[in-house]
Amino acid sequence: MVVVLLPSLLAAEAGGRRRFELEAPTVGEALRALPVANLVFDERGALRPLVNVYVDGVDARDREGLATALTGGEEIRLVAAIAGG
Amino acid sequence: MGVVVLAGTRKGLFLLESDEARREWELRGPFLTGWMVFHAVVDPRDGVVHAATNNDVYGASVHRSADRGESWTRAEELGLPEDSGLTLEKAWHVEPGRPGEDGRLWLGAAPGVLFRTDDGGETWAPVDGIVRHETRERWYPGAGGMCCHSIALDPDEPERMYVGISAAGVFRSDDGGETFTPANRGTAADFLPDPFPELGQCVHKLLVHPARPERLWQQNHCGVYRSDDRGESWERLEGNGLPSGFGFPLALDHRDPDAAFVVPEESSENRVTPNGRLGVYRTRDGGASWELLTDGLPQPAWGAVMREGFSSDRLDPAGIYLGTQSGSLFVSPDAGETWLEAASQLPPILSVEAAEWS
Repeated sequence: MVVVLLPSLLAAEAGGRRRFELEAPTVGEALRALPVANLVFDERGALRPLVNVYVDGVDARDREGLATALTGGEEIRLVAAIAGG
Repeated sequence: MGVVVLAGTRKGLFLLESDEARREWELRGPFLTGWMVFHAVVDPRDGVVHAATNNDVYGASVHRSADRGESWTRAEELGLPEDSGLTLEKAWHVEPGRPGEDGRLWLGAAPGVLFRTDDGGETWAPVDGIVRHETRERWYPGAGGMCCHSIALDPDEPERMYVGISAAGVFRSDDGGETFTPANRGTAADFLPDPFPELGQCVHKLLVHPARPERLWQQNHCGVYRSDDRGESWERLEGNGLPSGFGFPLALDHRDPDAAFVVPEESSENRVTPNGRLGVYRTRDGGASWELLTDGLPQPAWGAVMREGFSSDRLDPAGIYLGTQSGSLFVSPDAGETWLEAASQLPPILSVEAAEWS
């Protein structure tokens, strides 16, 4: 079981729910199980470039990205990169 | 009967509500916080609000609300096929289908693409007639991207519709959206080597007149135009009271096919109100002459009105609605004669639509 924490806009799109607990073998699988997966990924299934994913505080890009294996107990935090105006 | 104005902004959607007099307005919102609302519309068939929504981080979507904005549902499926080589950039304009076409709506989007839903907005399918158009390689994006911003349905002919794409031009379908042909004869593209090409024109807004559907009006990068033959040919109309042919918004009087309203800008190079005068130019003779209407609008004002930031209602007399980049929503309850500021200090207004709801 891992925990996924959403930023406020994604939580609003998930019916107000900010915290998800789910079973998934990888970071990518965990994110694809979210009800907001089509906001996190584009239509090709690619992680949108301004969505940052932290696994226990470490940027997933510094590990193995979406393929980063989960053993259970991790906390995955989605953070919108600073952009826009 | 009430009147609602949907003001899509860079920071969500605001609703303004009034009665038929359209002089006192109550503001609600913002809804869809965090989203840029490029366009929002009430589907007159069922009262559902649909919004073309964009976010710098989370991409383009379409939201809908069956309870006047209190709760929203996001489209489940919206994207372009991999073999098209295209990915969705922005959602621009939602157009409800005709009465009797239950569940059908159209979505114009960037990069120059069109979608259709037949389930009320849950799933959107790309329309191959535009996505895979044989001339696509000759289309180029305007400053706002290659946006499909105008979708005009012929109210009498269920097989006929039009789209406007910047900068590809106007396209007409006579087979329900299966295939589209360019409809730009007579419209200029001064920025191209051939100033009157088959396509490539930078149409800024396209509307079909509901009471005379063979008549189309167009505000283009290079002029204001009218067509009386379903887009087969276009007549350029400015130079007779209009200070500039450049502008974005366009509105019609639903009862009077000879009337149209535009808000020109000084030029492509200087996109502000001509001479610092915020005003609406109205024709009542098919574009033969134009008069400036400013009564109640602030002066001077260098405001800019986006292509979707201007609309009319279907009451008598027609209400005209104008939203500015500086966050003011101006209403004229008498077809442009007088204006009042229904809201101010909103975020920059991207789109305005008016509707009736009971």
